[in-house]
Amino acid sequence: MYSAANTLYGILKDQLGAAGMPDAAIVVAAYAVPCAVVLGITSMIAGMLTYLERKISADIQNRVGPNRVGPWGLLQFPADGIKLLLKEDIIPDAADKKLFKLAPYLVYSSTVLASLVIPFGGSFVVADLNIGLIFIIVVSSLLVVGFLMSGWASNNKWALLGGIRSAAQIISYEIPTALTLLTVVLISGTFSMQEIVMAQGPWPWHWFVFHNPFTVVAFIIFFISSLAEMNRTPFDFPEAESELVSGYNVEYSGMRFALFFAAEFSSIFITASLAAAVFLGGGNIGRDPYASGIGWQLVMVGVFFAKAIPLCLVTIWVRWTLPRLRIDQMMSMCWKYFIPVSFACLVLTAAWMLAFDGNGIFWRMPKP
Amino acid sequence: MSAVAEYFRNIRNAVATTVAGMRITLRYWVKEPAITVEYPDRLGAGKTVEDIVADRYRGFLKARLDACIGCLQCMRACPINCIRIVVEKQQDVRMLSRFDVNQAKCMHCGLCVEVCPTSAIVFTKRFEGACYDIRDLRIRHVMTPVPVAKLQKQEKP
Repeated sequence: MYSAANTLYGILKDQLGAAGMPDAAIVVAAYAVPCAVVLGITSMIAGMLTYLERKISADIQNRVGPNRVGPWGLLQFPADGIKLLLKEDIIPDAADKKLFKLAPYLVYSSTVLASLVIPFGGSFVVADLNIGLIFIIVVSSLLVVGFLMSGWASNNKWALLGGIRSAAQIISYEIPTALTLLTVVLISGTFSMQEIVMAQGPWPWHWFVFHNPFTVVAFIIFFISSLAEMNRTPFDFPEAESELVSGYNVEYSGMRFALFFAAEFSSIFITASLAAAVFLGGGNIGRDPYASGIGWQLVMVGVFFAKAIPLCLVTIWVRWTLPRLRIDQMMSMCWKYFIPVSFACLVLTAAWMLAFDGNGIFWRMPKP
Repeated sequence: MSAVAEYFRNIRNAVATTVAGMRITLRYWVKEPAITVEYPDRLGAGKTVEDIVADRYRGFLKARLDACIGCLQCMRACPINCIRIVVEKQQDVRMLSRFDVNQAKCMHCGLCVEVCPTSAIVFTKRFEGACYDIRDLRIRHVMTPVPVAKLQKQEKP
């Protein structure tokens, strides 16, 4: 009852079920349409983020950035996409052809799969799984398989090194990410993304990030370790231009290369929207999304994007500020600092819940 | 105990240095304008390509035919023989019938400009020499023969 797919299923069932459509076809249609819409939105935003990344990096470095294609260069990313589509698709002779072809799709799909359970405000969520948060964590770990696969199949030492590094990095940083998300689960008592959003409120003091002092720390650790998980500077070891040429995607060209980049930029947006939904209250404006009209729901979508897009900008801003860490620093940062601190946050939040009967500093436990 | 202190000092240093760096980039992001010169077509209102070139720039060579006395010194000074001048006598008048500068070969050393007694060969600010045929860069300054300039006799003080 909670998701766009369910609503669509109900409508289709009423319209087509009487006409003798098989139930399976209706289910497929009810899920395919919202999936396609979310995929389109995510790719569009990923494209805009490539433009924003170039524009912001230009601003930071006193340059102009893309400004020739369209007004203020806004059409730069369709132009880039078309260029990459038309490029020759080169597969190295020594590559493992099947894995080489499969890897980009695996990377892209594992990134975009997470967007299925992200509540975009209002009732706009493709599938509100009751294990939504776990689903995101699991699916984003699939990324490793894609990276390793592309690194191995390229039959290139740089690509293989990049793949191995990304495996080490993503597996390590999964732990603090999952632990910091768990602190929120402790408070909300549910894994469902939509219910986590609905448990929060419209104002900053209703958000889970300000529930208690430890969730603030948890939010910061979540943000940094998700930077590492999506291979952004200062943790961009898998691509490390100065050491590994370009890492796991050295041998790729044309559309397959574009898929890797689409995956990278969609994961920026998806991580930002995850942070916005879980810690910053998502599209919650203090109304029940299922009881309000379409106008209010669109306001909720606006609120959600007003929280998610600035987080994307922060990601880009961090990239153009901080240099890449050394690989041992990256590992010690994860295992010696993030994991103990996030464990401490988890335990202390649990203790706080016990001590104050679940209430936060301003947030109050809903009456059963 | 010192290890624990170092642990927390590391955390503090990491946060402090990150914040310092982020503040600097934020200032550049928000405040500092771009300093890029968008060369061919967006130089700013009323500006031409020659305005962005420095004074005394060594661009293409120009022959001022009203000053050239046909002494051929520039032709001899040129280390790579990119200047070709032909002076002919027609009815007792020395005529300048050819003054070619091969800009494709010219290395802009400036020896011809230094040696010219009447400043008849000078550098311009023009630098855009792209063309489809390298022979287009062999620039003819004399189309129809012109008489060479006469040196004005200077009064001795």
